[in-house]
Amino acid sequence: MRNISLRNIFLVFFKIGTFSLGGVYSMLAFFENELVGRHKWLTHEEFIEGVAIGQMTPGAPIVNTGIYAGYKFGKIRGAMAAISGLALTGTVIAIALAIFFVKTKDSILLRSIMKGVGAAVVGLLLSTVYKMANRTIKDYKSALFALSAFFALALFKLNPIGLILAAGISGLAVYGWRK
Amino acid sequence: MPVLLKFCWILIVVNALTIGGGFVMLPMMQKEFVEKYHWITNQEFMDAIAVGQLTPGPLTVMNAFIGYKINGLAGSVMAMICSYLPCIIIVTLVVKFYCAYKESVIVNSSFKGIKSAVIGLLGAVAISLGHTSLVDFPTFGIAIVSFAVISFTKMDPTIVIIGSGVLGALLF
Repeated sequence: MRNISLRNIFLVFFKIGTFSLGGVYSMLAFFENELVGRHKWLTHEEFIEGVAIGQMTPGAPIVNTGIYAGYKFGKIRGAMAAISGLALTGTVIAIALAIFFVKTKDSILLRSIMKGVGAAVVGLLLSTVYKMANRTIKDYKSALFALSAFFALALFKLNPIGLILAAGISGLAVYGWRK
Repeated sequence: MPVLLKFCWILIVVNALTIGGGFVMLPMMQKEFVEKYHWITNQEFMDAIAVGQLTPGPLTVMNAFIGYKINGLAGSVMAMICSYLPCIIIVTLVVKFYCAYKESVIVNSSFKGIKSAVIGLLGAVAISLGHTSLVDFPTFGIAIVSFAVISFTKMDPTIVIIGSGVLGALLF
């Protein structure tokens, strides 16, 4: 057990959560620089394990890697300190923006800006689909899962929560539930 | 059930089922918040995604933005608690039983199915949001260029979104 105060856990994650813009990978690099490189709170192997756990547990991977690290440093309270630090800056800015949006709802300038941004968000989502598909769709089985889910939602408007549960159960049936 | 309670419950379920990356929560949230309960519009949902991308930290921060729209400051705070609590519980359990969990055939097989399926779900949501935001030639152009830049260059998506906002202010 490392001896790291909750305050220090919070402060390091606050720094990561404030200065890391952009995607998952830039955040993970930041994690490694701070936790493994600078503070040496985690070994490289632990960091790799944390990334793996982040990817194989439900929830946003980057959040879960942070929880893993916080837990290693200070059990459940460490995990909470880590997440509070990681999310604080973004949450405050998001709330400020929400207040701003509600106040300036009818501003023509804001609507024009968001018209451009909305189009870019669609591009961003499609690009995310493309990247995820590149990583995950490797054979006809995985392609079938993706296509069935697509049509179930796009055409039949089925509920995504139900579809994810159904995909999990079908995964057991297709990929086996026994060694 | 009061709206705030229902909102919290949906976030807990959604986060417990977000398997395969932060973006996976979007199809579930769009269905519940926009289509089923009409708490926010498609446009506001896209505003929220953009805010999640623009703000530092995880995409999940967008839930604070949605929470504010639905229930003011209390909505934001509850959104954050309900987004992170399931993850804290699950991850700490997994760290304790990491070896058993990693080898678990049940987890591996079901996650394999889910990780493929969620790609299709996200694709469907992208199209559904496209119906709202791609209304003319310039918006189509911005979407295609953003897709290409984010997919095939190393440029940060944040820059692309800011650039599109500037372009929107000039064009529309």
